Amino acid sequence: MKLALLFAHARMIALVLLRSPGFIVPSIAFPAMFFALFALPYAKTTAIADVETLSFMIFAISGVCLYQFGVGVAAERGRPWERYLRTLPVPPGTRLAARIVCAAPLGIAAAAVVAIVARLFTPVDLSAAQWLLAFGLAFVGAIPFVLIGITIGYWASARAAVPIATAFNLLLAYAGALWMPPEMLPHLVQAISPYLPTRAFGDLLWSIVGSGNAARGLAVLTVYAILFALLASVGYRRDERKRYA
Amino acid sequence: MLLQLENVGKSYGAIRALDDLSLTVERDEIVALLGPNGAGKTTALEIALGLRRPDTGTVRLLGGSPDAPSVRRRLGATPQETGFPDELRVDELVAFAAAHANDAPDVARTIERFGLSSLAGRRAGALSGGESRRLAVALAFAGDPDLVVLDEPTTGMDVESRRMLWSEVRTAASGRSVLFTTHYLEEAEALATRVVVLAHGALLFDGTPHALRHRFGARRLSYVGKPLDPASAGIDGELIEIGGRVVVTTADTDAYVRALVGSATHFEALEIAPASLEEAFLSMTGAVR
Repeated sequence: MKLALLFAHARMIALVLLRSPGFIVPSIAFPAMFFALFALPYAKTTAIADVETLSFMIFAISGVCLYQFGVGVAAERGRPWERYLRTLPVPPGTRLAARIVCAAPLGIAAAAVVAIVARLFTPVDLSAAQWLLAFGLAFVGAIPFVLIGITIGYWASARAAVPIATAFNLLLAYAGALWMPPEMLPHLVQAISPYLPTRAFGDLLWSIVGSGNAARGLAVLTVYAILFALLASVGYRRDERKRYA
Repeated sequence: MLLQLENVGKSYGAIRALDDLSLTVERDEIVALLGPNGAGKTTALEIALGLRRPDTGTVRLLGGSPDAPSVRRRLGATPQETGFPDELRVDELVAFAAAHANDAPDVARTIERFGLSSLAGRRAGALSGGESRRLAVALAFAGDPDLVVLDEPTTGMDVESRRMLWSEVRTAASGRSVLFTTHYLEEAEALATRVVVLAHGALLFDGTPHALRHRFGARRLSYVGKPLDPASAGIDGELIEIGGRVVVTTADTDAYVRALVGSATHFEALEIAPASLEEAFLSMTGAVR
């Protein structure tokens, strides 16, 4: 992969993002706002605050992945500009990498705002090493969400991608116990919850403060990554056949 | 040979877009792909660029497959007019296109060459139609390619900007080959070293602009009097009688006048006018229907 090409494409995506404040500001602020509304009132002890902070950081990151890749891919693949990009000597892998390079800081920023709000207004108590570990593990946990996003991007129309990504983001966060402890979820949701990628992401990050099952989390995330890598590649080929046959 | 389409056929459902089309672009050629709407120009271009697969036949672009990035590095194409990301500036877009070339081409020179200097800092979303066209053409040349492919480079431009863009393309084209589509005969004559005319997906004409003018650019001679068959005077042409006038359409009106005088045919009110090129061209492409 040529770095200059990766840089050129990442720069283009980043400039478009940075000049769309109507998109970037809500993406970063929305999860922290949710955190302030729904988690702050309960985060009275360090134990609860730690778990809630990590949970809303996951909500922030999964949202960025679903929107950047789901809505982004769905909107762009039908545009005339996309046809022009295809005439350029750039492999699809480089373009995907550019998208990842741009989504990462956005995800980090959205999660960091949650962390800052938590530090300011809750008794959250993570060491520097724990914070670092949380952000590091978040990159692993984000992989299936990137792939779910790409799958939405290739299977949904540009118009449908926004509500679909939103529904995935909110429903998965709720049922994956990111907004409240699993015990507080309705029974039916409690039964499905352990099999959801958001819950698995939670298990991975909650393990940092000793309350999640990291091994189970990783296993579930791996299954989702494989499943959606397949669905995304089928969707990609289907789009290629439809548009460029 | 920079581009070679060989016996290419392409259908969209029941519509035959290209019918056994063979087409080449050689080094240093500027080839116009001319034809009315629906003639198959865009499909031919898309197949050349690897944006579509031919049903039958083969495509060779710069000695390889249009799918290979190494091949596309030597290719420059235009985006469709309205297709730019609105948020990006003119200079950023030209630099972006140039970043795909092997050795860093001169971005400032491309911007200047296509008269974009005063627009360099403007967002693509704020450009007029003509300015967008100019930018699209600049992007095709930005990477210093060997082959440039332009899809209707001046559609929607006024006459003056069109002429200006022609001269810019002519200058920028030196040392490379250009293939462009157009439905303006004038544009093909002004820019191309070779013209390929398509009608209904098939090749109708392939030759120099001069030969094209000879074939399509007939003149119309009319008079009141007895008709003189051009064929009897050894002249290529068509004779009809309209409203009491004899109307002869031929490329060589001079020879016809000499024949007319020589034959001592009675004639009066002689008029000679260039037949509209568009008209002649349309009647020719329409005749294949």
